[in-house]
Amino acid sequence: MPEVFIDGKRYEYEGDHMLLQFILDQGLEVPFFCYHPSMSIPANCRQCMVKVGTPVKDRETGEYELDENGKRKIRWFPKPQTSCSTPLQDGMVVHTQETSEEIERAQKDNLEFILINHPLDCPICDQAGECPLQIQTYKYGPEGSRFEVKKVHRPKRVQLGPRVVLDAERCINCTRCVRFTEEISETNQLTIVKRGADNYPMTGPGEEFDDPYSLNTVDICPVGALTSADFRFKARVWEMNQTPSIDITNGKGCNIDLWTRDNEVLRITPRQNPEVNDYWMPDAGREAYEQFNENRVSRPSIKLDGNNHSNTSWNNAVETFAEAIEAHDPKDFAVIGSPHASVEENYAFNKFFNLLGSPNAIFTPHIIPGYGDDFLITDDQAPNTNGCRLINLDEVDENGIKTAIKEAEIVVILSDDLVGREVLTAEDFSDTYTISLATNKTDTTKASDLVIPITCIAEHAASYVNINGRIQRSYPAKETKYTNRRLNLEMSEGRLDRYGTDFDNWVSEDNKVDCLPLWEFLNHLGDRLGLEFNFEHSRSVFSELSDHFEALENVSYQKMDEEQGVQLPIENTEVKQA
Amino acid sequence: MAQDWKSYEPLLIPDIPNLQEIDVYEDNDGYKAWKKVLSDQNKWSRNNVINEVKAANIRGRGGAGFNAGLKWSFMPEPDGGPRYLACNGDESEPGTFKDRKIFEYNPHLFIEGALIAGYAMKVDVIYVYIRGEYISWVHQLQKAVDDAYEKGYLGENILGTDVSMEMELTYGAGAYICGEETAMLESLEGKRGYPRTKPPFPAQKGLWNRPTTINNIETLANVPLIINNGADWYGNIGSEEHPGPILYGISGHVNRPGVYEYPSGVPVLDLINEVAGGIRGGKELKAIIPGGSSTPPLRADQLEGVTMNSDSLKDAGSMMGTAGMVVMDEDTDMVEVLWRIAHFYKHESCGQCTPCREGTGWLEKVLIKIKNGEGEMKDLDLLLDVGNQMEGRTICALADAAVWPVRHTINRFRDEFEARCKKSAHAVA
Repeated sequence: MPEVFIDGKRYEYEGDHMLLQFILDQGLEVPFFCYHPSMSIPANCRQCMVKVGTPVKDRETGEYELDENGKRKIRWFPKPQTSCSTPLQDGMVVHTQETSEEIERAQKDNLEFILINHPLDCPICDQAGECPLQIQTYKYGPEGSRFEVKKVHRPKRVQLGPRVVLDAERCINCTRCVRFTEEISETNQLTIVKRGADNYPMTGPGEEFDDPYSLNTVDICPVGALTSADFRFKARVWEMNQTPSIDITNGKGCNIDLWTRDNEVLRITPRQNPEVNDYWMPDAGREAYEQFNENRVSRPSIKLDGNNHSNTSWNNAVETFAEAIEAHDPKDFAVIGSPHASVEENYAFNKFFNLLGSPNAIFTPHIIPGYGDDFLITDDQAPNTNGCRLINLDEVDENGIKTAIKEAEIVVILSDDLVGREVLTAEDFSDTYTISLATNKTDTTKASDLVIPITCIAEHAASYVNINGRIQRSYPAKETKYTNRRLNLEMSEGRLDRYGTDFDNWVSEDNKVDCLPLWEFLNHLGDRLGLEFNFEHSRSVFSELSDHFEALENVSYQKMDEEQGVQLPIENTEVKQA
Repeated sequence: MAQDWKSYEPLLIPDIPNLQEIDVYEDNDGYKAWKKVLSDQNKWSRNNVINEVKAANIRGRGGAGFNAGLKWSFMPEPDGGPRYLACNGDESEPGTFKDRKIFEYNPHLFIEGALIAGYAMKVDVIYVYIRGEYISWVHQLQKAVDDAYEKGYLGENILGTDVSMEMELTYGAGAYICGEETAMLESLEGKRGYPRTKPPFPAQKGLWNRPTTINNIETLANVPLIINNGADWYGNIGSEEHPGPILYGISGHVNRPGVYEYPSGVPVLDLINEVAGGIRGGKELKAIIPGGSSTPPLRADQLEGVTMNSDSLKDAGSMMGTAGMVVMDEDTDMVEVLWRIAHFYKHESCGQCTPCREGTGWLEKVLIKIKNGEGEMKDLDLLLDVGNQMEGRTICALADAAVWPVRHTINRFRDEFEARCKKSAHAVA
């Protein structure tokens, strides 16, 4: 097997590799800025320099030539090589900054160059805490600067497009953003303008950077040059919690992180998953964070005259719901599940009404033909259409929903804004008693007689099946009125969890929504009605699910954690077009 | 041979009126070499043409001085896909202005050479990348290309054979970096002129990832001479290691600046004193830059016995480059000269690689400080150190080209730089 020697240690390899990626794959470190594993290699930052040599072979025999000590003779490249653009060769000898003073000096020299025209104001830069330049400078940079002449001042606060702001003075011309628009999103909206140290990325004259994936350039910018217009200066990374989750704005199920501070989601960034979204996500998915904080249904409410709602107690809400059920024949219910809700929610919801003797829950997919692209945006506007199919909810079209409502005496709707997305009008259920179990205030909750607030994806553990049949899970990122951060083992830990004190008082009570996980509310309702319905947790809902459905055999939260989701054996997994 | 330079008759730009007209060119043996090759393709097989050029030992006239025939032989065997020859006429280094002479006085010689090269490497399209500011020569070259098409020297089934080739002109937009061979390829592809990392080399992956060879205009203009007269004849022109006619572009403080054609290996001092008419105003010679601004300058006292060939100039501590010699008289302020050169490289750095993008600007700013009398002695060491940090650490050689003049001008004229810096020292009371 071919071999390579890095800093004196021998490594075997198979296939073709570039040196930098190979070094990183071994858990070793070489500093770099312009290299990104998903894009072309321009080798322009010149930071990942290493010393490289290849063994000398006898031309006739093909044998390695040996020196007087019996060791292979090495022919060293005359100059330091950029490891990102150097392919591995059998017998190659590599010295990184760890074992070569020449390379250590070369990397320091290069950082000195990068820093001469880069403002050294990390405490006020928006990228502080997430800046590779800051980290590399700390680890490999010069102790001071010998640059005593005037810096180049490139433009500041340039609004490149609706979502991205450029501080060109910080740019180190790594061209990652430009290459992203050329190679990944393929809009070619960015280019480098001017020359030399005056260089910076810019759009064409009169054009704006409105690429539907534009915010990915902010993630990959190795300095604070590109920032999100929305998130800019809103929070510091070290005061936020980072919780893994799933993008619910379309059917792709991009893996994401929810960034929370003081119990509010302030930012959404992609989480790498080569099976789903690689390193990327659409801008629309990032803008969804507001719906986790704002316009939430908090406390149950009952409709008074006209369209006015009045808040009520949980006890009264359970009582009202139970009385409505008891006053009617369960066969006359229309139970409407939702592709916007999780697998667990749809399952618990359907199971509850099945126990009462109601018809199986129905759902209607939320698909806008032609809306999607060939990348991460799909025609399917919901995260869990396949999940509803998987647990055998009855898939109906708009007429099916209308007919079901027309024939029903009570309509129960789970987290689907059927009025808002124009499947129904408010008049359609003006004659029936309508109950909404919802996360946010919508046209549907407005038209409902009873509204029960339930937790959203940012507040509970749940799973979703994407358009390709991959089941993936979320974790709670926010507390509700009834969760305890420290007791809830599903919640991720932030710096203040680990090091804060009870007196930090960093979670404002005002930011906690008065809502319950769906299964927990149904437990209360089941108790009142005397049903055998009692879940302890989302996890227990899922474990029951996996016993019930063949496709979920051997799938568990643990497996989804370990493998970043599980591919299900679902036939024809692409969403059927409406 | 070089000693015979006075009796030399120009071959690249002979004194024939209206040679740019195709009829006049034909009357003077024009396209003879091309017809010779096409009419006897057995004798002049592709390999034989390459071997003849290799044997002539012609070294590229763009500055790097690589053996042109050897370069041609790097082209892989045809695989059915398109192949290209890219002709570099984007000269724009200070002191270099010799290709324009060919465009002006003998464009067909270049076209003929490019066709023979294209035939030898079996290319489909010849691109000519010509400096956009050369607008009148652009028009003239375009007319020559049109005439060559009309006469059947270019295009489909050239002169009734099964050889076909197209030629297209592309204009540069005033970026020095686009004269760097891989940046030129990017520019030809319609992209920003950024040099490419090598490998892959252009012969493997050039224009649109297809095999491509890049040659200088003057190099190609030599090719018909070699085919017409043979490698031996050619090898006897000028110095042995670097044979052939050379266009010497002489500028600066001489009485008759201009482009002169002589064999390689003319003594430097003869070029200055006899060809260019000596230093203007009867002043003393102070220094020269032998081959474009990137080549290290030489002091007058280093020039005794030095001839214009790469080995001799290397021994003297410089390079042949493009043979665009800048001559400076005794009144020249070397600090100002170096600042102006540094300014050029700072202005022309494409900005792709960190050491060049940042280093060229740093060098210039420190030189401005020194020029303005605000420099300190430590700045001289800083300049040399910054140069060391740049050299050999970038994708292309622009950073090296920016460093060499700094290093060698400071080392060879250090007293002038020190004098400037000492002025800023404040007297201690």
